[in-house]
Amino acid sequence: MFAHIFSYRLRCLLRDKETIFWTLLFPLLLAVLFYMGLSNVNKGELFHPIDIAVVDDANYQSNYSFKRALEEVSQGDDRLFNLTTASRDRCDQLLNNNSIDGYILVENVENIYAEKPIKLVVKESGFNQNIIKSFIDSYLQTQSAVSSIMQINPTKQQELLNSLGERERYLIEVSASRAEPDNILNYFYTLIAMACFYGSFFGMREITDIQADISALAARVSTAPVHKLKALLSSMSASLLIHLTEMGLLLIFLRFVLQVDFGPRTGLVLLTTVIGSLTGVFFGAFISALVKKSEGVKIAVLVSVTLIGSFLAGMMYQNMKYIVAQKAPLLSYLNPVNLLTDAFYCLYYYDTFTRYALNMGILCIFIILFCVGTYSIIRRRQYASL
Amino acid sequence: MIVKVNNLVKRYGDLTAVDHLSLEVHDGEVFGLLGPNGSGKTTTINCILSLLEYDEGEIEIFGQPMTPDAYHIKRDIGIVMQNIAVYNELTVYENIDYFCGLYVRDKNLRKKLVLEAIEFVGLADFAKFYPKKLSGGLLRRLNIACGIAHKPKLIILDEPTVAVDPQSRNKILEGILELNRQGATIIYTSHYMEEVERICSRIMILDKGKAIATGTNSELKAMITTGEKITVESNDLSAEQLAAVRQLPNIVSAEYNRPLLVIKSSRGANNLETVLDFIKKEGIQFSRIYSELPTLNDVFLELTGRALRD
Repeated sequence: MFAHIFSYRLRCLLRDKETIFWTLLFPLLLAVLFYMGLSNVNKGELFHPIDIAVVDDANYQSNYSFKRALEEVSQGDDRLFNLTTASRDRCDQLLNNNSIDGYILVENVENIYAEKPIKLVVKESGFNQNIIKSFIDSYLQTQSAVSSIMQINPTKQQELLNSLGERERYLIEVSASRAEPDNILNYFYTLIAMACFYGSFFGMREITDIQADISALAARVSTAPVHKLKALLSSMSASLLIHLTEMGLLLIFLRFVLQVDFGPRTGLVLLTTVIGSLTGVFFGAFISALVKKSEGVKIAVLVSVTLIGSFLAGMMYQNMKYIVAQKAPLLSYLNPVNLLTDAFYCLYYYDTFTRYALNMGILCIFIILFCVGTYSIIRRRQYASL
Repeated sequence: MIVKVNNLVKRYGDLTAVDHLSLEVHDGEVFGLLGPNGSGKTTTINCILSLLEYDEGEIEIFGQPMTPDAYHIKRDIGIVMQNIAVYNELTVYENIDYFCGLYVRDKNLRKKLVLEAIEFVGLADFAKFYPKKLSGGLLRRLNIACGIAHKPKLIILDEPTVAVDPQSRNKILEGILELNRQGATIIYTSHYMEEVERICSRIMILDKGKAIATGTNSELKAMITTGEKITVESNDLSAEQLAAVRQLPNIVSAEYNRPLLVIKSSRGANNLETVLDFIKKEGIQFSRIYSELPTLNDVFLELTGRALRD
């Protein structure tokens, strides 16, 4: 009997184009859209040398130390500036047609204490302009410090010159992870979590087709000599098999076609997906049993919960995840989509399992609650009304 | 005894949907439950099938109490629901095979039964069709095939011809009689009196959850005073003549809505002859005159004061 119901259920579900679209094709399409829309985000965060110019006049040529410093930071692959030397007029021209972010004018060679001995000319303020200004300020501070020391203790000249090139770090940066930071991973992780929760459509259908007070089809099955819960188990197994296969295809597509990195713990990534799929399917079953309304209302509830959960997990705006964690931390733990997203995040970034285990533990509690809740509602085999 | 219902009561809050109903269905009969919409036919069927909880009463099928887990009883029952209950994603063949498979485990036997059911309902040319491609009548036939493929001893059909074209209805009714001839006991619910009159060997008339009469077609008609209904098509009838018609012997009522004069007579001989003699004597011009025996609608009307389709 199990095989009979299971095999026909597989056929039914695989031919249900609408459900297959939302549970498989929609996440795949969304993944492609994410890939196309977000692939430049990381590249955009790489540092690009800033285009600047310096007025090539007598003051600049005679200020050897500044000239040398400026030329040094404008050389090599990791240079700070793309430097152009030109006349004042040419510099103005370059600035006006946006070829450079600003130009430097050395005004006073003799007195570095004079007001604005090195002047920065910009058209607008911005990130790049701040970097140029920081460079100039840093140079002037160093120059000032050197001059002061030389006046107080001229014998330390050589020692001072040696130490100029050495910057001592008093803070040690320790990374919590060996993984490379990646700003777009969270979007894909929320996508997987959302796809897991679209499995709720399968769960909803299973309950609709087994509860005689919901559908005529279920009433017909209820009159057959088949134990209701055994029939549900058979058809639910088919649903889970299909959804797990869909999730597997989604993971393969993300990993090998879109090159989304899940870190080295493949087994745990798969386990997380299985737990996510179970949560989604049983969530749909629970809502279908609980909400005694039309199928349209049930679908609206499932889609709303999934999308709101995905939004709060950072699917549309990555920082939302952190905002929720700061402002309403309890919500982070009550949102199963966020728990799933965070589980993938932990597997990628963290070397320890504490936070991952907490996420998975809460998800397992959700699964148990959904199962117990569903069973307590559908266990009746006679109804007050049909 | 195939089905025995004793003193069944089913309430929905303040509404009593089935009111102390008792019935017995004997082996080999086609038992009709006739009543207007809302009279309690489907509720009674759902209680018999143990789908609905009921407040009072006992139900036995094949001499044993019917319960939700009486699988040995369910195995010999076939259900055809009022609403179409098939999977849209399965073909005609697959749907019948699926439901038959809930009763019959042997694959070879099941295949034989499914093919027989397809042949029986005339869907052989549509075996690979999906339900959405079928017309309303063909869909009803598929619905029936899914309920009878496993050759049950008791078949319950709950308004199986709702919204069906006359050709398919005829096919369905003939099929039900054939199933009965093959040995199945049938419980048939409908609000179409013509169908029930045509196929049921015994009929229970329900109204507001109560059984108001039970018997064979002729037994039910014998319960009422109306003998025959005589209709005269005439434009030439005065008020005095109408009053005179009402005074004729055995005449229960006479109503004239030009051009139809409808005369109801009590049971007895020569009623039509009496009316014809009166028309001839008065010189009333008429185009047609015909006589009908009482129908189940007349039975329902006389017993409840309302027409069956009110």
